[in-house]
Amino acid sequence: MRPLVYRRAASLAEAERLLAEHPAATLLAGGMTLIPTLKLRLARPSHVVDIARLAELRGIDGKDGRLTVGAATTHAEVAGAVAVRRAIPALAELAAGIGDPQVRNAGTLGGSVANNDPAADYPAAVLALDATIETNRRTIPAAEFLVGMFATALAPGEIVLRVGFAMPERAAYRKFAHPASGYAMAGVFVAEHRDGVRVAVTGAGPGAFRWREAEAALAKRFNAGSLAGLEPDASGLNADIHASAEYRANLAGVMARRAVAAIQ
Amino acid sequence: MRKPVWPPLARERVHFVGQPVAAVIAESAAAAADAAELVQIEYRDLAPVTTLADALREGAPQLHAEAPGNLAFDFESGDAAAAEAAFAKAAHVSRLTLRSQRLVGNPMEPRACAASHDAGTAIYTIYTPTQGVNGMRGALSALTNVPRERLRIVAQDVGGSFGIRSPAYPEHAVVMAAAKRLGRPVKWVGTRSEVFLGDNQGRALELTGELALDATGRILALRWDHVANLGAYATPFGAWVGTRNLTVTMGGVYRIPVLYGRARCVYTNTAPVSAYRGAGRPDIAFAIERLIEYAAAEHGLDPIEFRRRNFVPAEAMPYKTANGTVYDSGDFAAVMDDALARAGHAGFAARRAEAAARGKLRGIGVAAYLEAAGAGAAPKDQVRGRFGADGFLTVWTLTQSGGQGHETTFAEIVASGLGVPIERVRIRASDPEADLVGSGVGGSRSLAGCGSACRVLADRIVEQARPFAAEALEAAPEDLEYARGAFTIKGTGRAIGLFALAERLAGPTPHPLDALGEGTFGATFPNGCHVAEVEIDPDTGATRIVRYTAVDDIGTVVSPALARGQVHGGVVQGAGQVFGEQAIYAPDSGQLLTASFADYPMPRAGIIERFDVHPHPVPTGTNVLGAKGVGESGCSGSLPALANAVLDALRPLGIATLDLPFTPARLWEAIAAARGRALSRRAHAPQV
Amino acid sequence: MAKVAMTVNGKAVALELEDRTLLVDALRDALGLTGTHVGCDSTQCGCCTVHLDGRSVKSCSMLAPQADGRAILTIEGLAGIEGPGSGDALHPVQQAFTECHALQCGFCTPGMIMAAAGLLAENPAPTEEEIVHALEGNLCRCTGYVNIVSAVQRAAELMRG
Ligand SMILES: Cc1cc2nc3c(=O)[nH]c(=O)nc-3n(C[C@H](O)[C@H](O)[C@H](O)COP(=O)(O)OP(=O)(O)OC[C@H]3O[C@@H](n4cnc5c(N)ncnc54)[C@H](O)[C@@H]3O)c2cc1C
Ligand code: FES
Ligand code: FES
Repeated sequence: MRPLVYRRAASLAEAERLLAEHPAATLLAGGMTLIPTLKLRLARPSHVVDIARLAELRGIDGKDGRLTVGAATTHAEVAGAVAVRRAIPALAELAAGIGDPQVRNAGTLGGSVANNDPAADYPAAVLALDATIETNRRTIPAAEFLVGMFATALAPGEIVLRVGFAMPERAAYRKFAHPASGYAMAGVFVAEHRDGVRVAVTGAGPGAFRWREAEAALAKRFNAGSLAGLEPDASGLNADIHASAEYRANLAGVMARRAVAAIQ
Repeated sequence: MRKPVWPPLARERVHFVGQPVAAVIAESAAAAADAAELVQIEYRDLAPVTTLADALREGAPQLHAEAPGNLAFDFESGDAAAAEAAFAKAAHVSRLTLRSQRLVGNPMEPRACAASHDAGTAIYTIYTPTQGVNGMRGALSALTNVPRERLRIVAQDVGGSFGIRSPAYPEHAVVMAAAKRLGRPVKWVGTRSEVFLGDNQGRALELTGELALDATGRILALRWDHVANLGAYATPFGAWVGTRNLTVTMGGVYRIPVLYGRARCVYTNTAPVSAYRGAGRPDIAFAIERLIEYAAAEHGLDPIEFRRRNFVPAEAMPYKTANGTVYDSGDFAAVMDDALARAGHAGFAARRAEAAARGKLRGIGVAAYLEAAGAGAAPKDQVRGRFGADGFLTVWTLTQSGGQGHETTFAEIVASGLGVPIERVRIRASDPEADLVGSGVGGSRSLAGCGSACRVLADRIVEQARPFAAEALEAAPEDLEYARGAFTIKGTGRAIGLFALAERLAGPTPHPLDALGEGTFGATFPNGCHVAEVEIDPDTGATRIVRYTAVDDIGTVVSPALARGQVHGGVVQGAGQVFGEQAIYAPDSGQLLTASFADYPMPRAGIIERFDVHPHPVPTGTNVLGAKGVGESGCSGSLPALANAVLDALRPLGIATLDLPFTPARLWEAIAAARGRALSRRAHAPQV
Repeated sequence: MAKVAMTVNGKAVALELEDRTLLVDALRDALGLTGTHVGCDSTQCGCCTVHLDGRSVKSCSMLAPQADGRAILTIEGLAGIEGPGSGDALHPVQQAFTECHALQCGFCTPGMIMAAAGLLAENPAPTEEEIVHALEGNLCRCTGYVNIVSAVQRAAELMRG
């Protein structure tokens, strides 16, 4: 790791000030993505600003059909929270399947969405649960927030405070884990809302995406059989030493059917 | 053999990604890493060769001027002409190419060393995890030209070895040179990234076998053509793996009148290959048992009966194979029957049907393996016992445990040989001052070699103690009997305990009861039959290992719990190879693409759902314990058993062979293609 | 330089370290607690697992200053968990690992034990499946995990009394 200055912000205002004063500063939440990157010297921030303990980024609250989760909430906390289990059990289940226990005890919702890893789990939930990302400056709808591989709409100095998820009628997430990294080789979040079905796929492509064809098929009849033979178009999906695009397309189809079967 | 020099730091040419090029010495690891970023190296890219096929291609880039065609050598064993004749008259012939893909050994403790140099005596003291101080001394001396006597090697706890820790590495030499230059101790602790890039790697073999059968399914001849990828340089064990270890048991457990093997060893721009758990023996066991299964299917033979018909029968022991190896003992048919019964082989059809009803492909795989163990590089094995003033018997040994539990097993052997409590015996391994002859850890030989020497030591101590005991008891030596740790005058109650006697004799060193246990112990042939049962999800290609039964003839078992642990570990390492592990270099850049645990799937907890291990000992006469060795047999059994199980599951789809590793992606593609799906692009081919 | 005040195995410690110091290096180098191991540089092996305020984390992937004001428990302090740093007796998980021969080279063992202890603190009666899931962040190259899983079951038994 290169030399850097560590600062723990005592308040949101202090975090904002530190970011403003040090243009090469980076936010640090659970560190499960940032610290490994720093250890491999792949990033060179002058400062890291620790926001993991900020009260402004904590808390879980369900009302008016939306579940709001603070950005600094760890994956383990999301997995275990009664409020989440009641409102959106599929979200708790998703969080319980991220990485491993040690990663879940440190990694945060805010860090995960801000990082927007194309194989991360939360982005699928963000899309399928029509989430809004609330920052210190504005509220951003999911579709505008996730702009591409490791890219978000966050501007410099912008901090994710919380994420609001629409509570669905029913939902499920199924993931086929990469055999080495544990991230999603393909993960599919299926949510049936009052106003329609949303199906979001992560891991298979260069970023999480909504799979409209599946949504349309399920809107007709919410049944795993409706998805029989359906797969996202492989041409836009990832191919690497681990798997071909066609395999990933197939997995997305299989995971979608399994998610639907789980809530049927 | 054409063997280019491997310089500790690359000169002019870098031959593989991961080869050290410069060293930075600093007061802290962080400072050294900061400084290393400032080192500027100008590289001019050369076209790499990373695979066997690339390296042997006409006009391929040449790694070393000494090795035209990138060929280190071409090796033969057995009778080529006899094989030709046997194939000419065969009723059936089966031919199969198998690849044992390149692996990274990955013991959990990365490599490390610390060296200091005493300017007065010119002696280097080197702390490093290794598989035996004697071997490391020789290897380091060869690498650095420092005479053996000036190398004091200290090995303490070793965080797993699996073969990769026996050679000397560039980092050892660099740290020694730096310590001498600076007059201060210098330490290097590798990272996991350095393990991936810089450790010697394993396997990387391509094995093509041909089996000639008569009309009744008897094997007439077996012929092999192997190609071994040595990596960029020949390690001391690289060529051994690709030649001797592939050919010594090339007929496995079968009575085959004619054997012939050819092996070529090839240089490529990849990390050098060395011994990795089994070092060629699991590979040949895998190839034989895959070929047997394949031939049985091809010619409509029941694979179990086919094996039984061709086993070397127990009555034929000792059995000399067609290429001269002598198997001293073994009862292969009894071991297989035992394994089949324990694995519920007879009831498999019902389990397959039940799985099919759930949409899963279930398969069962049998492997009757045999491997050569026991033989060591040193002419004999010695251990030394010393009675200390502390009231303990301390036994100095040369083998360095990397988790095998020698401290327990060797102490058990000495203590039970002497009839004294195990708490009175201490084992000191790898002491730099031990001054003993013997081999280190490797080839599953510690128990057969060093363990046997411990057994001899116990007898020696008793014989040496007898006259002193006679004096103490005022009796004639021949009137004494020794039992349960004490000499007793026959027919009387008068006795003196061994440790009481030792205490009486305490005084100037050496203590009169100090003794050397030694002997030359021959090769052994651990064997066994493993039965694996798998269930494949055809939708995702994911495999569950639902049941695994290992029945092993490892000879006499000294510590059952430790032996079982070795089988567990070995079998799961084999499972790692069968289902996911592979080192892949980019063919165009020579970069290692699987250089972290995020890209290199290691086996994890729960990989085998039901695991039964049973010894079926047929003691050997080649050492005083009757032990055959268990360190590597797990891999030799599990590679073929698991691979056969997967292919058994796939056989109904018309899939007869498939390359390792059986990743979900590869299995799904094979299944999808067999079911008629047109695939545009396949997953990465295995690399050897 | 950063000032870090934390509780390690029940004792208050105050360190002054470079800001970039990893918690594992602070434990090993500054405090001499070398039972916590480093087996990788990509947060995947779990050899470095310690408890932070009672929950298992990978100490190789935290800056020491992040632990300021927190309580750390390492393998060295586990045995005395009832009254930190006190007892010589083994913790039930250590006891079970010994009984079940759940370690060979021992390099992964401190991390495995801390991960297992972390699981049992939350779930005193885990199923085999839950144990396997809880050990996903810990690699072992020697044992094949069979005896490790048995040891966690045995530890659960010992802890239930
Ligand atoms: C071994 C391992 C396995 C993993 N497996 C999975 C998996 O299966 N699925 C999965 O989804 N993820 C996985 N992860 C990633 C994990 O979920 C991380 O926790 C997550 O990606 C980042 O969260 P963090 O809190 O650790 O963020 P950090 O690492 O602290 O930060 C990540 C990035 O986000 C920025 N950031 C953090 N918080 C905020 C904020 N509030 N506002 C704006 N920017 C912010 C930081 O500046 C940094 O650039 C794994 C990680 C590891 C180490
Ligand atoms: S050293 Fe921390 S996870 Fe490997
Ligand atoms: S016991 Fe050696 S790595 Fe687990």
